[in-house]
Amino acid sequence: MLESKVKIINPLGLHARAAAQLVRLASSFQSEVKLFRTDNNVIADAKSILSVLTLAASKGTELELKVKGNDEQKAFQSICDIFANGFGEI
Amino acid sequence: MKKIGGVIVSHGQVASELLAAAETIVGVQSHITAVSIGWHDDVEIARDEIARAIKKVSDGKGILLLTDMFGGTPTNISAMFIKKGEIEIVTGINLPMVIKLATQNKEMTLEEMAKSVEEQGKQAIYRTSELLEPHK
Repeated sequence: MLESKVKIINPLGLHARAAAQLVRLASSFQSEVKLFRTDNNVIADAKSILSVLTLAASKGTELELKVKGNDEQKAFQSICDIFANGFGEI
Repeated sequence: MKKIGGVIVSHGQVASELLAAAETIVGVQSHITAVSIGWHDDVEIARDEIARAIKKVSDGKGILLLTDMFGGTPTNISAMFIKKGEIEIVTGINLPMVIKLATQNKEMTLEEMAKSVEEQGKQAIYRTSELLEPHK
């Protein structure tokens, strides 16, 4: 399993369209992809948009990303990238 | 995978706008359509329109009618179509319910889908003042 902290850096936070982008990306891999919000103990399945939205992650929020499965390396890298480039919004 | 079809039925343009919002988020949904019942529409006309919509999105796996308000005309007219195992209604539509129906990704019976959409709709209501603190 690979894990890392990721930070929301785009001004609008993890809003619906950004979440949809994340879900599309995560769903393209076989690995299980989870996001944990540690300050209020919310866990989200990154392959479900409605689950991701429950994180209510605004700009500045730190999340814990955990990726597990046979393509975890690739999945982990691409998902870290999408967070790092602020969902293409900055 | 065959999908359960969805028809959103509402007063005014709420139905088509909810569908438009969902499609902006999760992409075009060919298995969901919207019917707006005009405030002065004739019941017969409205019923025909719902019947056409049902036909349009039917894929043989059942149809979920999502209406705006229990007890309202769109729900009452939709209720004429209820058929066990084939057509179900869930009232009180909100955007997460549309997204739930849009993003069906595993085999579910119509009954299971109706239950899960109902649950999703209820779960998606929050009083946010205590949950969300602004990050400056």
